[in-house]
Amino acid sequence: MQGIILFVLLVFTYLMVIAKRMPALIRSFRYQSLCLFAITFIIALTQHQPELYIVAGLLFILKVSLIPYLLYRIIKKIKVNEDLGLFINPQLSLLWALAFTYLSWIFTSYLVSANNVIFASTLAIAFFVVLGGMFLMIFRMTALSQIIGLLVMENGLFLLASTVSGGMPFFVEIAIFFDVFVSVLIMGFFVYRINKLFTHIDVNKLSRLKG
Amino acid sequence: MSIFIILGIPVLLAIGALFVRREQIFGIINCLGYLVVFCVSVFLFKEVVLVGHITAFFNFIYLDLLSAVFIVVISVVAFAVALYSVGYIRKDVEQKIISGRKASFYYLLFNLFCFSMFLVTAMNNLGMLWVAIEMTTLISAFLVGFYNSKESVEAAWKYIIICSVGIIFALLGTILFSYAFSNSGLSKSLNWSDMVPVAHILDKNILKTAFIFILVGYGTKAGLAPMHTWLPDAHSQAVAPISALLSGVLLKTAIYAILRFGIIIIKSGEFAYFTHLMILFGAISLVISSGFILVQKDLKRLLAYSSIEHIGIISIGFGLGSPLAIAGAILHVFNHAVTKSLMFFGAGNIVNVYKKHNMNAIRGVIKVLPFTGIVVLLGVFALTGFPPFSIFISEIMIISAVFTSGSYFIASLLLISLSVIFGAFIYHFGKILFGNLPKGMKVQGEPLSGKLSFLFLLSLICGLGIVLVFKSKDLLWLAQRLLQG
Repeated sequence: MQGIILFVLLVFTYLMVIAKRMPALIRSFRYQSLCLFAITFIIALTQHQPELYIVAGLLFILKVSLIPYLLYRIIKKIKVNEDLGLFINPQLSLLWALAFTYLSWIFTSYLVSANNVIFASTLAIAFFVVLGGMFLMIFRMTALSQIIGLLVMENGLFLLASTVSGGMPFFVEIAIFFDVFVSVLIMGFFVYRINKLFTHIDVNKLSRLKG
Repeated sequence: MSIFIILGIPVLLAIGALFVRREQIFGIINCLGYLVVFCVSVFLFKEVVLVGHITAFFNFIYLDLLSAVFIVVISVVAFAVALYSVGYIRKDVEQKIISGRKASFYYLLFNLFCFSMFLVTAMNNLGMLWVAIEMTTLISAFLVGFYNSKESVEAAWKYIIICSVGIIFALLGTILFSYAFSNSGLSKSLNWSDMVPVAHILDKNILKTAFIFILVGYGTKAGLAPMHTWLPDAHSQAVAPISALLSGVLLKTAIYAILRFGIIIIKSGEFAYFTHLMILFGAISLVISSGFILVQKDLKRLLAYSSIEHIGIISIGFGLGSPLAIAGAILHVFNHAVTKSLMFFGAGNIVNVYKKHNMNAIRGVIKVLPFTGIVVLLGVFALTGFPPFSIFISEIMIISAVFTSGSYFIASLLLISLSVIFGAFIYHFGKILFGNLPKGMKVQGEPLSGKLSFLFLLSLICGLGIVLVFKSKDLLWLAQRLLQG
């Protein structure tokens, strides 16, 4: 079961890497978070940890519902072009993603022995999600895609934490959730400001400060 | 107990900023608050020296000598900044650059920012340490974008994005640390005080990998090259008193976080690994910053690059790890914080009068702003490591430690960069400080609060430079205890 969900999560990450338009990216992010929620929920069911239910609930409220809603709202309000502004076209991005997947597998086998397949592949997928998020941040030009890239990286870390160490201590988990939510709010606020001052959100054109 | 006063006063002041309408009166209350924080932090330092370490609030708060030193540094700079802010914000309000409401917003953010930095030094749990550091980024982003101009919003965006990505890597490193810990069959915990005693049985392979992520992650926040790109933008665009806080102490809190993990690495027996990485990043920072300082045109960016240089020196000092080097590095943390705040205050006054950052267009500062001009002149010599100022002492300690350790390549790199930077500073500041009174400008008066904060910082710079020469034994004792935990 966990393996299937992990595979779905991997697919959505690939979809994000090759997405061309903003709504598609946000949708994939939502489904990716949903997969994370499912994994956490299953762990909570099997291990009977009441805290994990709360973590799963928060994941659902924040990352599946609230944050995608906020992002959609920002797109609607600022009415900019929905294109992501690709530095690298989807086909080439796909190749990059494949390379990243391979890299994360190598890195995982360096860290842990591959006896436990589910464990090792979860780890590899978590690293891949982090790398994919970084790819989105670097090779997409709009400010919003940078926010999503950051969130994707954070999703990868959540997966990593919940597999390798059985999750962070409870209050740390809550604090990190809160932190991520606040940072999305603040970044959204700055996207509004950038749009107001520059009338675009193309971060590639933010080049007044140099040297 | 005193840690709760230190954490509580900024929170109370932040709440107060919402209610007190007159920003000038509140500025003075703010100042008094930070004076109390400063006194309490010195008291706390004494307590920690006597007791060893303090835990409080269900092991949530853990204070040892390392955190006590950083708390003192933060409180000194925060007090100076609170003092300087009184005059600076009043002038901004009078010139209608910001509204009275925005002034109280400034005080709110300033207090929250200080609170989050104090929190970083007090946390025992490494996950909460991460949260506190991310909090400093989020709050100070508003202070970087405070004036809402195109440049400042761009700087704030770059700051928040680059630091958030960096810090995500730090979280990755933290998770790997906790993996190493839970792998060894011990109970689940992220507490630093639980990890250190068992560091030697943790999986070294994972720890080493994790430390790279930590160094890259928190190193971004500390401004270590080549992850420093946000730093000159943010420091040059922030409100002048906040530039001092960013450069003086925010970078140091990230160094503090690196050290916390570094101690675990050292205790696990990988001392050489720690040394090599810290010295590598330190040396890169030094070389890159000295190049940029040489060709810099913007006054505040010049100071920002100088911060990268000093962070490089500090990281070389901590990396070497001998008592002499650690004593030098911890002193350098303090000395750089104090001196750089002084310089940023001076730069703030200069930019206020001339309305531009470009050093080619600024002339005759000593004639226009006699007090600031003289203080900045002294500050230039202090910052570039001239005796009798305090940075001289810490730099000479680090340099002699590098020589004793036998790494002559690093030593020569350090000396060459320092002399290049010295030349560049004298050249740049010689141009802007001296010269005739520019046409159409009058001699300007300066607010009392600004002058007082200059005097406070100058007395620390000069006083320490003289006193420390006679205190070498105590310093070495402190350094030996510092990385013990």
